[in-house]
Amino acid sequence: MAAVQETIDHVKTIDVDQYKYGFTTDLESVKAPRGLNEDIVRFISDKKNEPEWMLEWRLDAFERWQTMDEPDWARVSYPKIDFQSLYYYAAPKNSEGPKSLDEVDPEILRMYEKLGIPLKEQELLAGVRKHDEPSQLDAEPSDEDGYAQMAGKVAIDAVVDSVSVVTTFKKELAKAGVIFCSISEALQEHPELVKKYLGTVVPKSDNYYATLNSAVFSDGSFVYIPPGVRCPMELSTYFRINETETGQFERTLIIADKGSYVSYLEGCTAPMRDENQLHAAVVELVCLDDAEIKYSTVQNWYPGDSEGKGGVYNFVTKRADCRGKNSKVSWTQVETGSAITWKYPSCILRGDNSVGEFYSIAISNGHQQVDSGTKMIHLGKNTSSKIISKGIAAGKSDNTYRGLVSTHRKATNARNFTQCDSLLIGNKCGAHTVPYIEAKNSSAHFEHEATTSKISDDQMFYCQQRGLNEEEAIALIVNGFVREVMQQLPMEFMAETQKLIGISLEGSVG
Amino acid sequence: MGEAATKLTVVRNPAEEGFLKTYADIAGTLPGTEKIVKARRDAMAVFEELGLPHRRVEEWKYTDLRAAIKEANPVAKPASVDAGALKSALGALADVDAIRVVLLDGHFAADLSNVDDAGKGMRIMPLAEALGDKEFAAAHAEIANVLEHDTSVALNTGLMTDGAAIRISGPHETPIHIVHATTAQSASLVTTRNTVSVGAGANVTLIESFVSLGDAGVQVNTVTHVGIGDDAHVVHVKVQKENAESLHLATWAVELSARCHYDTLQVTTGAALTRNQIYLTFNGEDAKAHMNAAYLQRGKQHCDSTLVIDHIVPGCESRELYKGVLDDQARGVFQGKIMVKPEAQKTDGKQMAQALLLSDEAEFDSKPELEIFADDVVCGHGSTSGAIDDELLFYLRARGIPEKKARALLVQAFVGEAIAIIEEHEKLYEALMGIAEDWLSEAV
Repeated sequence: MAAVQETIDHVKTIDVDQYKYGFTTDLESVKAPRGLNEDIVRFISDKKNEPEWMLEWRLDAFERWQTMDEPDWARVSYPKIDFQSLYYYAAPKNSEGPKSLDEVDPEILRMYEKLGIPLKEQELLAGVRKHDEPSQLDAEPSDEDGYAQMAGKVAIDAVVDSVSVVTTFKKELAKAGVIFCSISEALQEHPELVKKYLGTVVPKSDNYYATLNSAVFSDGSFVYIPPGVRCPMELSTYFRINETETGQFERTLIIADKGSYVSYLEGCTAPMRDENQLHAAVVELVCLDDAEIKYSTVQNWYPGDSEGKGGVYNFVTKRADCRGKNSKVSWTQVETGSAITWKYPSCILRGDNSVGEFYSIAISNGHQQVDSGTKMIHLGKNTSSKIISKGIAAGKSDNTYRGLVSTHRKATNARNFTQCDSLLIGNKCGAHTVPYIEAKNSSAHFEHEATTSKISDDQMFYCQQRGLNEEEAIALIVNGFVREVMQQLPMEFMAETQKLIGISLEGSVG
Repeated sequence: MGEAATKLTVVRNPAEEGFLKTYADIAGTLPGTEKIVKARRDAMAVFEELGLPHRRVEEWKYTDLRAAIKEANPVAKPASVDAGALKSALGALADVDAIRVVLLDGHFAADLSNVDDAGKGMRIMPLAEALGDKEFAAAHAEIANVLEHDTSVALNTGLMTDGAAIRISGPHETPIHIVHATTAQSASLVTTRNTVSVGAGANVTLIESFVSLGDAGVQVNTVTHVGIGDDAHVVHVKVQKENAESLHLATWAVELSARCHYDTLQVTTGAALTRNQIYLTFNGEDAKAHMNAAYLQRGKQHCDSTLVIDHIVPGCESRELYKGVLDDQARGVFQGKIMVKPEAQKTDGKQMAQALLLSDEAEFDSKPELEIFADDVVCGHGSTSGAIDDELLFYLRARGIPEKKARALLVQAFVGEAIAIIEEHEKLYEALMGIAEDWLSEAV
């Protein structure tokens, strides 16, 4: 059908066989023995030199995990995962902990350059240091001007397989009081903060994959924004699975203290492998009074080849707790990768007047299976939430939106607006919508809308009748289809996303 | 999930044991040829395996039947009532001219019915009789198997006592009204099955009403199978105003052929717990189904509307408009699933579920689902819930209308939108709007 030709072409360019991040990098690595048992959990904890309470926490999670069953309610099918055949810990050699860029294995830096994330270069371009100067990680920011320059920069925590290899701009962030480091480092330097918040949003035995993560998580990012601070730059984590047969289990914990603001970006890629790689992350966001967290994800794990072989299994638990009054959390996600996506970033709107938002573009092609959505749980008074989900299914893929909106009896004046739209390209794919809406309060006002369509002749006629040619009309309509979500992405990700989705956005950016 | 969770149900509750025992006790006395006997046995085997659905079974997430049914009531004994009592129970519905088939406590009551007035092209016989007919039974046994995964249907197949078997051809002005009345003075079980076959090009209005003449809680389980031929036009109305002690499980299994029109309306005010299920399948191209419902519930009433619309051929249109009014601690449930198979291109499916919550403790749970495998389709669903709009209320009150009256007007307008689907049947329309009015006037 001509009307969606442009979209088809663009989606094809991100087709599974053309995965551009599918290279591997030869990194020498240290691995834990294959399989999972109590000793492996101890091994990981020991490697990280963790405090005793952390080990106990992990062991408790592991014990509970052994009694749990894999969930099977999602619309995804895959051969049973043999959890004993995986490696639960892999770290590039000589990088047992984050350090300055100069000490980072040049192979890793090259890998990130190839991914379009030149850690070192970025640091140079940002004017943090000159060539012959020591890395910024050792240098103190010179003066207040230097501090002001930080706006527009992005601090990156780079995670390869199981460990964080480097975190940039740490010192500069520290000046603002912001803590941004790997979670292993946080466990050494700020154990009180980790202990206070870890597992308070996603309990250690929340669900099958989250429990597994609690037991074996290897690294991830930790962010703490002190009261009243507006984080001076975008924070970002870049995840890369490099090793074979490795599970990646990262844990991210972000705390926005009273009146603070942070924007956090997350990107992911993996090499092309024949076997399936497992990724089971947990992300916890804590948002206190008047604070705001904006969390954006561009997920581009390897989706498998055109026959559906290989690809990453992505089982992620992401949840935000709007604990304080007037707090706000906004999730934005662009999902183009993974063989299987099982992911429901959620908001618990506990504080009065808190706001939760979820913007999602999920594109599936080839044999990909996406089962994703959100949960908005209204507990406080005058809470509001907004869900905009756009699913585009092509090839032989299945794309499911699954979501829950619920109000507690006492959550007076709760508001929700949900819109989930699906676009199908071809007749071998499927688009599904499974929303759950539970209103337990008469003052709650819920609206839910979902549509599935191709571009209608009426829309085309309307545009063409106003002098647009067919191509322009399609571009305009498809552009309109995802625009609401695109607008939510930070500028830094917008460019990448445009390339990923490949849908023309003429005239709508900015 | 449903499957795995069900398998965990090893221990049967007294109700499950009770239904199995009832079947064992009365199987020998139930009507039907060998084929039907086998169908009943198979169905009860399904029930034995699945048990009563509970909230871990996805399709029954919001209506926990296992918790709601504490024990199986004894099968109702055939009773008799005088025509006047039935007329007053039916209210305005009694004034709608119709060929009346009365099922009293699950048995055909010839003295209260006027099936002899059925004209040419309309054949009505009691189901108990039809089940004994070889040709009919063979066809009906297959129908029973279509929905074997559904426990409430399985239970119906196993225990059905009687109902109406109707065959229609040609156009008919006069509607057919199947009255399901219960007289119980003590807890009882009533299981009925209707089967309606509408021939090509035929035209008919079908009304099913459910009323209580007694005060005791009755477990009502009813299934109606409707098969509609090419180019036929059927209006199917269901009215349920049973006493507030009753438990009501109703299933419609509908199959549509090419170019036919099927319009439905379900009005519910009664029963402690109601579950209205519709399984509708488009078997012929370019058919249309427009389905509306209005339910008004208060106290601790619970009304569940579950729809499964299956588009398997191209070019069909489905529309749903479900409107619920919930007061006190009443709970409304809407589960609507539109499925579009790969071949069903040019499908146009739209669904809207709306609830008006009149009290802070009322609850509305909605799960409108789309499952789409064809690319050239227009499908959508919407779901809204909220209280009466203050601005609308203000508008009316500013014009001198007292608050109570203003609220009633707004509620009436709200459900009226759904009831309007049968506007052309003036008397029926007035009778149904009257039910909504009565409900409102009962408000404290």
